[in-house]
Amino acid sequence: MSSPIASAVSRRSEPPALAPERPVEWPKRTTRVLGNGLHVVLAEARTFPRISANLYFRSGNAIVAHRAPGLADMTATVVRTGTASRPSRRIEEDLRRMGASLGTHAGADSSSIAAVGLAESSSGILELIADLARNASFPDEEFERERRQRFEELRIERTTPGFLAGERLRRVLFGKHPYAVVAPTEDQVAAYTRDELAEFYRHHYIPGDSLLIVVGDFAADAMLDQVEKTFGDWKAPQPEPPMSPEPPKPSGRRVHLVRMPGNVQTQVLVGNLAITRRDPDWYRIVLANSIYGGAFNSRLVMNIREQKGYTYSPRSGVTPLRQHGYFSVSAAVRNEVVAATLTEMFYEMDRMRSVPVPADELESARNYLTGVFSLGVATQDGLIGQLSTVYLDQLPEGYLESYREHVRALSAEDVLEVARRHFDSANAQIVVVGDREQIIDQAALFGPVTEYDASGNIVPPRPLDVMEA
Amino acid sequence: MNSSPSKSARTTASPKSASHLHIPVEHTTLANGLRVVVSPDHSAPVVTVGVYYQIGFRLEPRGRSGFAHLFEHMMFQGSENAGKMEHIKLINSSGGLLNGTTNYDVTNYFESVPSNALERVLWLEADRMRALKVDDENLRNQRDVVKEEVRVNVLNQPYGGFAWLDLPPVAFRNWPNAHNFYGDFADLDAATLADVQQFFRTYYAPNNAVLLMLGDLDPAEAFALAKRYFEDIPPGAPPPRADVTELPQTEERHGEVQERLGPLPAIAIGYTMPPRESEDWFAAGLIDRILHGGRAGRVYRKLVLEEQIAVDIDGGADLIESNGPTQMVTRIYHKPEFTSEGTVAVFDEIIEDLQRNPVTLEELDPVKVKFRSDFYSMLETGMGSHMPRFGLMHFLACFTLFDGDPHRINTILDGFLAVTPAHVQAAARRYLVPQNRAVLFRKPVNLPAPANSLVGKGGAR
Repeated sequence: MSSPIASAVSRRSEPPALAPERPVEWPKRTTRVLGNGLHVVLAEARTFPRISANLYFRSGNAIVAHRAPGLADMTATVVRTGTASRPSRRIEEDLRRMGASLGTHAGADSSSIAAVGLAESSSGILELIADLARNASFPDEEFERERRQRFEELRIERTTPGFLAGERLRRVLFGKHPYAVVAPTEDQVAAYTRDELAEFYRHHYIPGDSLLIVVGDFAADAMLDQVEKTFGDWKAPQPEPPMSPEPPKPSGRRVHLVRMPGNVQTQVLVGNLAITRRDPDWYRIVLANSIYGGAFNSRLVMNIREQKGYTYSPRSGVTPLRQHGYFSVSAAVRNEVVAATLTEMFYEMDRMRSVPVPADELESARNYLTGVFSLGVATQDGLIGQLSTVYLDQLPEGYLESYREHVRALSAEDVLEVARRHFDSANAQIVVVGDREQIIDQAALFGPVTEYDASGNIVPPRPLDVMEA
Repeated sequence: MNSSPSKSARTTASPKSASHLHIPVEHTTLANGLRVVVSPDHSAPVVTVGVYYQIGFRLEPRGRSGFAHLFEHMMFQGSENAGKMEHIKLINSSGGLLNGTTNYDVTNYFESVPSNALERVLWLEADRMRALKVDDENLRNQRDVVKEEVRVNVLNQPYGGFAWLDLPPVAFRNWPNAHNFYGDFADLDAATLADVQQFFRTYYAPNNAVLLMLGDLDPAEAFALAKRYFEDIPPGAPPPRADVTELPQTEERHGEVQERLGPLPAIAIGYTMPPRESEDWFAAGLIDRILHGGRAGRVYRKLVLEEQIAVDIDGGADLIESNGPTQMVTRIYHKPEFTSEGTVAVFDEIIEDLQRNPVTLEELDPVKVKFRSDFYSMLETGMGSHMPRFGLMHFLACFTLFDGDPHRINTILDGFLAVTPAHVQAAARRYLVPQNRAVLFRKPVNLPAPANSLVGKGGAR
């Protein structure tokens, strides 16, 4: 038997240099604001005979968090279950007939109705989206069924370590700001009324300042006519956006432990407030994040995964919501190495803040960001994602075209400065989710500990902690 | 080889006719047995490259559960000219993304990069096909990483591993089909460096693999590069194939496992699928979508919308990517106030209806439209929006390795779109029967009070 290992001649070889770069040509965009204020963005992407159409409204869960957390979510869920002319079953059958899938969602800052399907069904897909946006009927029985499902989903979320960690971090970072709430309680869901849903819909599913993005296999002129025909006569008044209280400014690290007895692994999540995409530091923080823990080839992954084997899934990221953004670092680790993991997370943050990034690492990270950005142009889903970012966050018109140039211009000094401003290791908030008995002593090394149960209630500290407090 | 001038995958479909894809595909075989498949598309300056080896967790050595997957991790730990982390560093610093996955019958390694990095990617993939250079420390490190992977995906997640890990041991009797694919920790601990090199020699030879290159490339150049970097890698002996045959099943199989975290009882129902590319196999593809196609699918409609027994259902069958016994699996998460036995009885009414009454064209035709649409979506992405054409690559690899013909990508849909109501009924009668299925209950350790105690008729507490 011939063996590749034995018979291959050992030859030193170097990786080939990169060939000259091919220019990235962004698909031609057609933008138009309809008479009713609806912003329309069309981009042709004709490799496969599909289209994706997403309609976004600029209101989500944050706008109602003070009175009915999750109401935007429940509204979006029930929107797909009936219109004046189509009962639920008809909607689902129409979708199948058009080879389409539908998603209706709400995030913190927006609500959306999105469909993908066959290009040959474009007009039917747009008409269905318009029907859901304009004529949803909120049938009582569908609402009650969805409400019950929401209870069960909430209960499953409350057994998911990643969800509990994220929920707790948002609470401690945002305080009284609406972004603090990522999910309602069961009581809050029980209190929703059909009229509240319909009212949210009436006020926020409106054309003014909303956004329709269509990407796919079509000719832009014909598609624009179709959009005008389907959405042009839609009129609704536009409400004033409310003001939100500022998030707190924490001083000092604090530890927030969410108890999940018997868990065989601890979810670690560390974070601090940072910036939005509209901040001049945005490109810098994206680059710093990719060097720190945002890429496979990053310091955090190299350290706690590839050298130490603490975790499968370390990562860091910047989450830019509309009013505020935050930086966070996460890893699910075995219970014995919670303190060791936190030590390395902070060590790597402090290294970013104190030592300039070497030239080759900087070059590598810039290439990573510019390359991955171009990968996003090659699928319809990627394009929708990039375009919605630009228009929902109201970024400059040339954002996509100039992104790679901005990234290429960044220096080691830029990375150092932005890390000092926004990797706030001294005041970072630490969340650990797991088996208290196995991790409390390790967690307490990093700051005063507050404990919670999986429902989010503060659990009274044990007598020893009271004496120390 | 044939070549097509078309720039992209256009179809000539009308809504009612079978569609004809024209995805340009060319292929060749190098002197060492490595198959090479290319599919050009110049719509964006990026390429996706994959190397698929015909070894998956079904084929891993007995008593070494989880080894195929652990080994996949080792392929990132260093090769002759690229040390630990250099694979990842070289791809990321070229502006690309990479990953690998272990499946039933194949293990793949893939990269999406700007097209100017194509040659560099080929150099890397050739380097690790030629020789793996790893040590005990790498193995210890990745064993730890894999254990955390199992914890984060299975042991510490509600419904982790449901049902891809739970159901095979109930459904099948032959070890290759029926063992723990992620691996028992004891088996992972028992793996040695010698095992790693032996596995590499046995299964990672060029004649047991296919190289795929898709996107912004010139086929002639791509073939020349493949030849340059791969052709002098020596072939190996044809690797042994595990016998994956299952003895005929005579009665329904049952199993039960505990759910430590999640609050809802869950059920998995699996039917073993017909042989690859048989008439019943195509019909089964449509049956899957009749039953599971979203909210219009019969199972969701009945169990979630009409009877309101279930909170959620999903289901599917990985037909194209399986080269051995595989099941169509329905997963049902039901309300605690219903029994799992009673829920299965209602599910059975759906199956009986499919056997008793031919599906109408009014239902079947839209199911086919959706099938076609989903197929295109799968080809375009399939693994997130930043791995262009991953799904196309995946199917091309399976058609090459299992059927010897990547061009099936352009004709496979025709088989599904030609299925008639009579085919559906016949296949349902032959395959959706108790002696061809397994039923698994996943029972919560702590059943909560039913949630409807919260909500009275008026919806308030």
